[in-house]
Amino acid sequence: MRMWTYVIRRLLLIIPIIVGVMTITFVLVSALPLTERFTSYLGQPPRGESYNPTLAPGEGTCPANATSPCPNPYYHYALNKLGLNQGVWVQWGIWMYNSLTFHWGVAGNASNVVLADYPAAKGQPVTTVLGWFLPYTLELAALSLAIIMAIGIPLGNLAAVYRNRPVDQASRVMSFSGFALPTFLLGSLVLAGFLIAFGAPNGFHSYLCSGQSTYSDFTGSWPPAYCYANPDATNFGYPSWLTAGYISHPTGFPTVDALIHGQFWLAAETILRIILPALIIAYGTVAILLRFVRNSMLEVMNLDFVRTARSKGVPERQVVRRHAGRNSLNVTITVLGLTFAAFVGGFPVIEYLFQLKGVGQLLAYSIIYPVDFGLIFGTTLLFTFLVVGANLIVDLLYAFLDPRVRLG
Amino acid sequence: MAGATSEAGPSVIEQSVGGPTWRQRMAPRIAQSKRTWYFLRRNTLAMAGLVILLLIAGTAIYALTTNLSYTQMTLVCATNGDAANCLASPQTVCTYSPGVTPPGPGCYETPAGFPSVIAPTWGGVLSQPGPLPLGSLTVNPGVQYFYNTYDGLLRGADWSLLISISIVAAGATIGLFLGAISGYMGGVVDEGLMRLVDIFLSIPQLLFVIVVVTVLITLLPSTGAAFADHIYLLIAGFLVTWWPFYARIVRGQVLVVREQKYVEAARASGAGRGRIIARHIVPNSVYPVFIQMSLDVGTIPIIIGTIVFLGIRIFPSTYLPEWGTIAALSVTGLSSFWNSCQVSTCVIPWWQLLFPGLALFLFAISVNFLADGLRDALDPRLRR
Repeated sequence: MRMWTYVIRRLLLIIPIIVGVMTITFVLVSALPLTERFTSYLGQPPRGESYNPTLAPGEGTCPANATSPCPNPYYHYALNKLGLNQGVWVQWGIWMYNSLTFHWGVAGNASNVVLADYPAAKGQPVTTVLGWFLPYTLELAALSLAIIMAIGIPLGNLAAVYRNRPVDQASRVMSFSGFALPTFLLGSLVLAGFLIAFGAPNGFHSYLCSGQSTYSDFTGSWPPAYCYANPDATNFGYPSWLTAGYISHPTGFPTVDALIHGQFWLAAETILRIILPALIIAYGTVAILLRFVRNSMLEVMNLDFVRTARSKGVPERQVVRRHAGRNSLNVTITVLGLTFAAFVGGFPVIEYLFQLKGVGQLLAYSIIYPVDFGLIFGTTLLFTFLVVGANLIVDLLYAFLDPRVRLG
Repeated sequence: MAGATSEAGPSVIEQSVGGPTWRQRMAPRIAQSKRTWYFLRRNTLAMAGLVILLLIAGTAIYALTTNLSYTQMTLVCATNGDAANCLASPQTVCTYSPGVTPPGPGCYETPAGFPSVIAPTWGGVLSQPGPLPLGSLTVNPGVQYFYNTYDGLLRGADWSLLISISIVAAGATIGLFLGAISGYMGGVVDEGLMRLVDIFLSIPQLLFVIVVVTVLITLLPSTGAAFADHIYLLIAGFLVTWWPFYARIVRGQVLVVREQKYVEAARASGAGRGRIIARHIVPNSVYPVFIQMSLDVGTIPIIIGTIVFLGIRIFPSTYLPEWGTIAALSVTGLSSFWNSCQVSTCVIPWWQLLFPGLALFLFAISVNFLADGLRDALDPRLRR
């Protein structure tokens, strides 16, 4: 019973956060020039119309013999639509309504490089476009999280058990360098290393296409198009469920779709391509997790129940695993909750660097001039929702695992 | 995180006549600083971090004293004979003609006719390091202009330090103020401020910086904005996202400190609310803030580098010689270099990645070491 009260209270706490985040975006959007706001949230004006406040004589509905510029009716329509001719509170109300009903603006008004691959995306609602890209990001996130947990927990336990021995020292070096190495630098170093290792003349034959490997062999969500076009490189062309720009059907998740269509090579290829980026994303977060797991393990190893277990003759292996190690799950959940925002924030860089399709890449290309503000704010809201959702899940899991939280 | 660091020591008995001297008043703090320094000195990594940081600070001060208006990275020039295209450049480091004059040392010819990269050139003696001691920084492959990495790193150190220190100092001041009020007042004020902090912290920091900076850039006129305006803009963009961390840390610390006996004593002897916060609570809650500040000083150049890497132009036509920016440029230049180079004639410009990256890495890691040492020295529970 108490669990349910806790869940409901925790859910209610989300409301002020969502309202607050949307208010922050409202403040930021209000600072933009009017034209930017119109094009981002209403799309390009229809043919023959413009967002100029006034029409010159002879332009549009303005008679040619007018002595002064006429007011532009479409401009006033746009003002009215966003509530900009009314008070701030009305504007805020309209903004909140639109945000909560997922009217996040129109994508692809600026010449966006990513959207060049998706002619259909031009003029689409931001949420639709985000929906196309989100599955790629989620797959990458899932793989990174799996790697973080697979490395962080065992290594942290090892570092605690073999304290101040080489394992511990190595993990300490790893955690320090994880803080200090920027993602873009580490990613580029790894990519450069791969190219040096596998791109050397006559050394490596790319697993994709015959010949020397290039930058694009190690990057991209899907094999580069020229691999498909090259007849002696592969025996497959574009599968029909990969539409132009490589949006997959029916679920949108590339690996899942490849498996559904029975094309295991493509599923494997997809995972191969995100392993490297996932490892790099994991590196920074593993650094923090390692430290926390190690420290909590050290604390637990000195507690009475562990001593009791040892003294009654339980083998050391089992003491570490069963008695002390149980605790590291709690720590992992806490750390993942604390670092999820930073974890998600790393996606634009890594997706941009590895040319992976995803929401992060969308953001990275939207901020290059000319700026696509609809997509920028849409992406930020989406990532914020991911963080809020992740924190909710973390808190609920924590309450489920540790009764003190919900009862205390 | 550091928990209770309430080692204020025995309180000094106030002297009624003439008042205590500064040394008497500060005696417990001086004693604590000595103790901290003692533990810090025994920590090898922390001392290594301190030494590297002092070296960097020395470089920054040298840069500040030699050239205050160094706002753009120095360009150098490489030509295939027609120096006319490079006249605007201050220094020609390498000239060659395809098939006639072989390229000079460290200069690599490409099919396009332009050298793609220029390797570090050393004059043989340390005092004469050659024109490009750390090699060139190629931003646009196939262009005759290169940035001088050595110059950028040496004389850009002050920008890195100044920008990060001003952001961190301003953020910590705001956070200290709000956190102290929130923690001490409690009740509605605390609840409201902390929900506000929650809101700000739920937006991923990097994205928040990106959004705020892109919005602020549109507010500047596209041409003719003063150089300082762009710097202020950058700092403002970071500040908006930075203060909540400090507010949360300080508040947690204040909650512990305000229950201490000496605060109670101050209250009993009639001290006002403002005096208690300013004289008793804030001085005893700042140590975790110092640790966080020292960590953040190393993080900010990394984040600036990241936003430059993602393509945000903080300055419309130039790049600020700042370590994060230089590291980002080295990487963006490299990825386009990979795309354009044909493998058979490719030179791997390791210097382009190594030196700017190493500078940024050393800065961040030395700050990390120092912060870790400080944490150990200030928190008695973590002392080994």
